[in-house]
Amino acid sequence: METSFISSCLDCKLLPQNSAPFTKNLGLLLSLIFLSDPWDPELMSQDLLFRGRVKQPARAKATIDVIEQLNHFLWDHGDIAFGPLGMLLQENFNLGEKKKSRKNKMVMNTEWLLRDLNGYQPKGCPWAHLSTRQRRFSLLGGTVLGEEVENLLGGLLHEELETRWKRLLLDEASTGGALGWVPGAKPHHGQLVYPTGRAHDQLNFQKVKLSPTNEPQALGDPSHILLRGPVRQVVTRTIQGEALVAVRSDHHCALWKLEHRGPPEPLQVLEMEKEATGISLSPHLPGELAVCTRSGAVCLWSPQHGLQQIHKDPETFVFKDPSSWRWADFTAHPRVLTVADRTGLRFADARAPSDCGELLFRVGAEASCQRGERVLLAQYLGTPDPLPLSPTLHLVCTQFSLYLLDERLPLVPLLKWNHGLLSPPLLAQLLPPPYPEAPLPLLLGGLGGHLRMLHLSGSGRTPQLAAPPQSLPSLIDSLPGFPVLEPHGQQLLQERLRAPLTGLAAVVPPGCPSPTMLLFQLSAAGDVFYQRLWLQPDTSSESAVSEPSAVSWKPRAVACCRRWLKTLLQVPPTLPSWTPPTFSQHHLRWLKEENKGKVQEGLRAAMAEGRLLLQGDLAPLPPSDPPPAHEPFGTEDKLSERLEASWERKGAIWWDGQRDGSRLPRKRQSREKRRTQLSSSFSSVRSTSDFSDVNSPLPHPPKTPSPLHRMSETSQSLELSQELWVKNIPRERRQTLRDYLAVLPSPDSGNCSIPQFQNPSSQSLSTSEPGKCSVPCSQNPRTQTLFSPLPESYSAFYSQNPNSQSLYSQNPNSQSLYSPEPAFNSVFHSQNSSIQKLPSRHTPSLAGSQPLRKKPRMGF
Amino acid sequence: MDAFSEELMGFVQKDNQVEASKDPVPEIHLPWLSQHIQSTGSHGQKGTNFAQTTSICLNFIQEALLKHQWQRASEFLQCYLQTLEDINSQKRQMAPEISLQHALYLLHNGMVEDAYRNLNQAESWRYGEMSASQEKLIKLIQAYRGLLDYYTWSKKRTEVSSFDMDGFATNAATQDMHSYFRQASVNLHEIIKIPGVWDTFVKSYVEMLEFYGDQDGARQVLTDYAYDNNFPSNPNAHIYLYKFLKKEKAPEDKLISVLKILHQIVPSHKIMLEFHMLLKKSNKEEHHKLGLEVLLAILDFSGCTENITAWSYLAKYLKQIIKGKHREWVQEGWSSRKDWWPTFHFSYYLAKKNWKENRILALKKAFTSGILLGKGCKYFMYVSKQGHKIREKSIKTMKKFVMKHNILDSEEH
Repeated sequence: METSFISSCLDCKLLPQNSAPFTKNLGLLLSLIFLSDPWDPELMSQDLLFRGRVKQPARAKATIDVIEQLNHFLWDHGDIAFGPLGMLLQENFNLGEKKKSRKNKMVMNTEWLLRDLNGYQPKGCPWAHLSTRQRRFSLLGGTVLGEEVENLLGGLLHEELETRWKRLLLDEASTGGALGWVPGAKPHHGQLVYPTGRAHDQLNFQKVKLSPTNEPQALGDPSHILLRGPVRQVVTRTIQGEALVAVRSDHHCALWKLEHRGPPEPLQVLEMEKEATGISLSPHLPGELAVCTRSGAVCLWSPQHGLQQIHKDPETFVFKDPSSWRWADFTAHPRVLTVADRTGLRFADARAPSDCGELLFRVGAEASCQRGERVLLAQYLGTPDPLPLSPTLHLVCTQFSLYLLDERLPLVPLLKWNHGLLSPPLLAQLLPPPYPEAPLPLLLGGLGGHLRMLHLSGSGRTPQLAAPPQSLPSLIDSLPGFPVLEPHGQQLLQERLRAPLTGLAAVVPPGCPSPTMLLFQLSAAGDVFYQRLWLQPDTSSESAVSEPSAVSWKPRAVACCRRWLKTLLQVPPTLPSWTPPTFSQHHLRWLKEENKGKVQEGLRAAMAEGRLLLQGDLAPLPPSDPPPAHEPFGTEDKLSERLEASWERKGAIWWDGQRDGSRLPRKRQSREKRRTQLSSSFSSVRSTSDFSDVNSPLPHPPKTPSPLHRMSETSQSLELSQELWVKNIPRERRQTLRDYLAVLPSPDSGNCSIPQFQNPSSQSLSTSEPGKCSVPCSQNPRTQTLFSPLPESYSAFYSQNPNSQSLYSQNPNSQSLYSPEPAFNSVFHSQNSSIQKLPSRHTPSLAGSQPLRKKPRMGF
Repeated sequence: MDAFSEELMGFVQKDNQVEASKDPVPEIHLPWLSQHIQSTGSHGQKGTNFAQTTSICLNFIQEALLKHQWQRASEFLQCYLQTLEDINSQKRQMAPEISLQHALYLLHNGMVEDAYRNLNQAESWRYGEMSASQEKLIKLIQAYRGLLDYYTWSKKRTEVSSFDMDGFATNAATQDMHSYFRQASVNLHEIIKIPGVWDTFVKSYVEMLEFYGDQDGARQVLTDYAYDNNFPSNPNAHIYLYKFLKKEKAPEDKLISVLKILHQIVPSHKIMLEFHMLLKKSNKEEHHKLGLEVLLAILDFSGCTENITAWSYLAKYLKQIIKGKHREWVQEGWSSRKDWWPTFHFSYYLAKKNWKENRILALKKAFTSGILLGKGCKYFMYVSKQGHKIREKSIKTMKKFVMKHNILDSEEH
């Protein structure tokens, strides 16, 4: 029975009296990677669930909207959905090939059908015209196509949605956390180990200096190791003076040894066929690990002795549970492990691997578990240092409660506490006492960022909760500390702060006059935040007036947060991960012979570079006539200018400038204006009068070709196409065209706006682009994304990290991360301002130009 | 589609305390699920029905408590209690449990009488039909009341024994004491029949039985508590039995048989050193052999690595065994440890650390390492070198013995 879950107030407790979830230079440095690599929260419940009326509001009920998903799938991935069927039917259809003769009655000519479709998808368009051919075909083929897709793909999609939804509710991959702290040789030095990057595949080693009073300081910039898979878990341990870092990826586990100087030394890598679910470092023997996989196997692994399987059972221990999640940790005996699944914890003896060990914990009556309760995390709380607690304690977390178990007294928990976390508790850490004979802080972190702190006491006896448990401020609680932003920025910030908590590392710096605790938190967005907690004498009995959990912000922290925010807001918004190709095969198939070679070249080049096919690769489009576009009010569109200026709150400046500027060159301006007006009117007159003598190009109605619009379609192939146009355009109109072109941004700046969505990480590396030439320091292309506006940390890199160049040798790309030039800051700003001016850069050229072309057509 | 989501989502709020081992096993219950769905489906509208209000209120209370905002918590608690007044009977049945927790809290703060009153009230709580789980709870409440009766009993006992009272007063006090004993023993006897861990209850009960001279009854209670297979494995039960038998001056064989079981459950227990001495004194050779295994098993555990008594026992015993020509026992014990003890106990790092912190420990370990790993062992070499420097006398004899008797060299011979 749990008799000890009544807590008592001790003299002291840890309170966040003066804590601020601020981000100092740490948060800044660590989030840098995201400038080239924006984080997006990926799948959310909104994406999967049916958003209709909720019939029973009292009972939470989720309905996965499979029909909507299937609908999206068919639209977005039509090639996958219908492709195989198309292959089967291909021999009965003639798609324009010359070989298939019409004599064969089994072959149907689809040339006209395809021409009717003409590459446009009439989705949602009320004016879409359906020809009789199309109607007949869809009536005949509809049932066949529909059934096949429904039967074959429906099931698969359903399965996929189910796993996605389950992962959304409980993402077990990050169990254990991916943030590790390795204490250094000096007492106030250490290293943080954590992954960053969109794929979480870059392992960073950031040296940090702690201070008893000031904020922790990042020493230089992190050294990186690029891995082949996402880092799910980072475990660190220092045994017998040896600092080790173990990393779990999906199908790899690896072990590094950290030297006080020099790069981390890789010891061994393990590859697994089935996904690894847990890794832990032995607290007893240096370099020994326990690894478990989804196959139900648990192995003891050490670089010296290799692998030893000590347990294998695909079935769960206590009752049948579909989850294949397994977890392994050590016990007070170096040869005995604990193996956990969702239903319980069991001992596994390395000396007798075939034996089925005793149960340490089971979801059941002994622990008075609730219905549907499952083990989410298990952790051995003993360490080699003699702790005030017995070295036989184990922590088990379920979605409802926290249990403390003694391995000498299995099945009956010593302590049970309802943690009340609203997200799965996948992170836990027991800390050494802040001062001798103080209770030990035990931290619990939920995936949603919720934090709990308990205090355990009891030497040699049953552990007890000392002082009431506490909820610590989570990242989102720091929101009021940021300045008020415009809605978009606010949303971005909120999303960023709400990113799942994927790592937790707390440090109690030794030898501080007033005991403090530093709490580092890693979010899935790649930011590392920290907060400092001060130990405060218990005042709750006397003065209830003081608000103990008030979070205070130091001015430096505020400044730091603002800097971080500034960089965050400069991150370009995330691009859709995949955009359906909207160019039609029509253009490829019926291309004229002379164009074919060019198209193939373009295709090959795009494939070789692994990027998306751009319109520019496919040669200019056949001249089709765009609809009339909005014409600017003369060459100088004052109204728009003024509106634009006032929108940016520079209305007064614009007005002043206008007044000053208008005095002197007014004459010249008016002259120019008159000339352009004349010429345009002249050309337009000519074009209408041309009606009679132009015979041939007349399937095209005589609308004024608007080069402005054309530009937006093919902005990147401007230089190419310009000449062609000039050839096709009557001489009289060329001047008009040139005038129009003058209004437009130059080809160079147009190039600057080429979206590089194909390969976000390469964005900063492509120095050869002409648009970049305007930026100084193009030798150092990455400076624009990786910057440190803090001069001190920047100099620290050079003074204190002389051998870090060798650290980067693992990742040649990152060698140019730093620019010693003083022009550093300006580089950053200039680059970003150019980005801001050109919002069009985010639209993928092909897909993005489509709506512009389509919209006006709707009305025809 | 709906069936799938029903199955995935469906969870029953009722009867939360049902154990999970019941068939059919329910799916995993995720308490944060409703929040997930609410954020999607509600379109900002929040249902305001009564159950939701109370649950929101409860959340506020919990939050305030966890943030140590006591004032705020108490305000919410008042509102909560008001809303609970008209709630269904199910919640009211929780009352005994709340009372028990309250009583435990009072006990923890030394308010024994208040706790007793509280337990009395809780025991007499009746609301509708009693469920099975409530029955257990009432038993537990009775047991705690019994424990408090025992507490009063033992207080009275010290009073009776310490004060010189006249015959009448003593008689009255003894009578009073006896009535407490009877009250306590009924309740305690009840609870220790149910499988579980009842250490405090058993100890109190046995103490009272012993006081009234019921040795057989006490032994029976302890034996049942230790050997009943329905009970969860509990090392304390064996320790209580051992201590009781030791006090009774039971034969050594009996003591050894009790401790043998404890050795199997918890080889790291400090009583195992006593067990080793018992085995060493025994006449049987198999006990002598077990004596070595007991020592080695103690030192397997991470909490005992610097246990100087264990190391000196081991050094002494190794010497004795080797002199007694039972080298194969050492080899047998060593074979399962030779792949990890060298790094676990005899690394260079530990040699330096032990020598710096505790020289005697270092010497004992060095001797053992020399015997087990030969003279080339890093630990042995470091300590003997350091010992040589400061002219430690025992080093020479140790070296000599190790040179001659270490098990490595003898294997080669």
